[in-house]
Amino acid sequence: MATDSIIKIKNVSFSYPESDKPAIDNISFEVERGSWTSIIGHNGSGKSTIIRLINGLLVPDEKENSLIEVDGIKLNDDTVWDIRDKVGVVFQNPDNQFVGATVADDVAFGLENRGVPHEQMVKTVAEAIKAVGMSEYANSEPANLSGGQKQRVAIAGILAIRPKIIVLDEATSMLDPEGRDKILKIVRQMKDEYNLTVISITHDIDEANMADQVLVMNDGKLITEGSTKTVFSQVELLKKLGLDVPFFEQIKAKLLNDSMKIPASVDSEKELINFLCQLNSKM
Amino acid sequence: MSKILIGRYVAGDSIIYRMDPRGKLLATILFILFVFLANNPVSYVIVTIFSFVAVAATKLKPKIFWDGVKPLIWLILFTSFLQLFFTVGGTVYWQWTIFALSSYGITNAVFIFIRFTVIILISTVMTVTTKPLEIADAIEWLLKPLKIVRVPVDKIALVMSIALRFVPTLFDETLKIMNAQRSRGADFNNGGLITRAKAITPLLVPLFINSLETAIDLSTAMESRGYRGDQGRTKFRVLRWSYLDLINLAYFILLLILLLVFRTH
Repeated sequence: MATDSIIKIKNVSFSYPESDKPAIDNISFEVERGSWTSIIGHNGSGKSTIIRLINGLLVPDEKENSLIEVDGIKLNDDTVWDIRDKVGVVFQNPDNQFVGATVADDVAFGLENRGVPHEQMVKTVAEAIKAVGMSEYANSEPANLSGGQKQRVAIAGILAIRPKIIVLDEATSMLDPEGRDKILKIVRQMKDEYNLTVISITHDIDEANMADQVLVMNDGKLITEGSTKTVFSQVELLKKLGLDVPFFEQIKAKLLNDSMKIPASVDSEKELINFLCQLNSKM
Repeated sequence: MSKILIGRYVAGDSIIYRMDPRGKLLATILFILFVFLANNPVSYVIVTIFSFVAVAATKLKPKIFWDGVKPLIWLILFTSFLQLFFTVGGTVYWQWTIFALSSYGITNAVFIFIRFTVIILISTVMTVTTKPLEIADAIEWLLKPLKIVRVPVDKIALVMSIALRFVPTLFDETLKIMNAQRSRGADFNNGGLITRAKAITPLLVPLFINSLETAIDLSTAMESRGYRGDQGRTKFRVLRWSYLDLINLAYFILLLILLLVFRTH
């Protein structure tokens, strides 16, 4: 991964003050610019802590060789605000991140914080709201919006800042399937349009499967990382960590166990279906 | 559930709605001061006419204003009665121990009644035609001079607007907890005062914990969205003066002049 890494994390550890066990235990990884990375792991595995370290909400344990670098900027006290300009986070609870009294006010919040002039702010806010398809709700109050709509507003608030990286911190876990699909669709669209890097922390296996790269965490340690296909084919490991595996991978693993010969090239649901159908037709 | 009213804002459209909230707030405060200039029947008639014109200009149903006065009617009547029976002077019509009904008492009682009522009417005109958030903005503007003595006016304003924004959220939360407790057999509607007060405890504790969690989440979200105090913040919501506010101003200056002319010196 010597290519263009937008996030570099080296030997980072972090312990919460009231606990003696590190929440993050000497983790190193890189995220490629323009890629979609999923971080999976059960509750308390340190997934969310990693994000809070990247945008400086938490300060990692002091170590000589540790490093957090975002878009070529090393994270420290002086650069934390520059880094927050580059990283936008959509949090889990739709209500608890809605600061403004109306949709437009909320989208403007990040711009207000950065001292953007009023005329420009009005323009940017309207654009961002339009990008997530919420124009007709611009003056609505949060009490009249659904969870999915609130999350779309959160995304608009982030887009208005024009960040490089958008982080979904279990952003879809409190939504119904429809709302979830819509959010993911918008994020995918925005990723292509603005060349964003996406990091999604998730329990949802389908959402994790949308990624190019998957990181698996357990007890503050990075257990494995790699392309979606390599990670999800490690069915036994994931099961041992109490994590879900995409359905077709489960089937494939079971069939392999039954000593059926499935070529390595079969690595998606569609290919597996094709393979199995052809198998039948030969018989 | 979505139609929870914070404050007493009533949707409508008239010139009062289109006036700047700052002007309305200022006018309300000035009016309350001006009312105390009235000290004879003519000046009280002027004050009454002015407040009824303002009420009419809202183009709202009179009932809305009656609802504004109603909760305070006993207080008004009580104060008027005190004036009525305890003021001594002029012709005394009736007396019994310390109670007396005098001509001064009667005029004073009527004056107090009018004074109370018009003040409530005018503040109702303001609160029903101005959204709570706009009132918060107006208060912020009014407090601005305090910045010189280092009062964190911007922070106070943000706190006010966040508080207003979370009222419906907390209300929803309360209902949810209430339903959860009810489904387990809690009873909020029966029993005496003490029983009911006790029934509220299992409601308050989770509500309180939830609010704290919300506050922590919100502060994390705000920080990650670049909030760092008042430093170099700009404002998205901007209030603009218009010619309507001149009308507003002229109206109350006219009231002031009339009162100064017609009051007893």
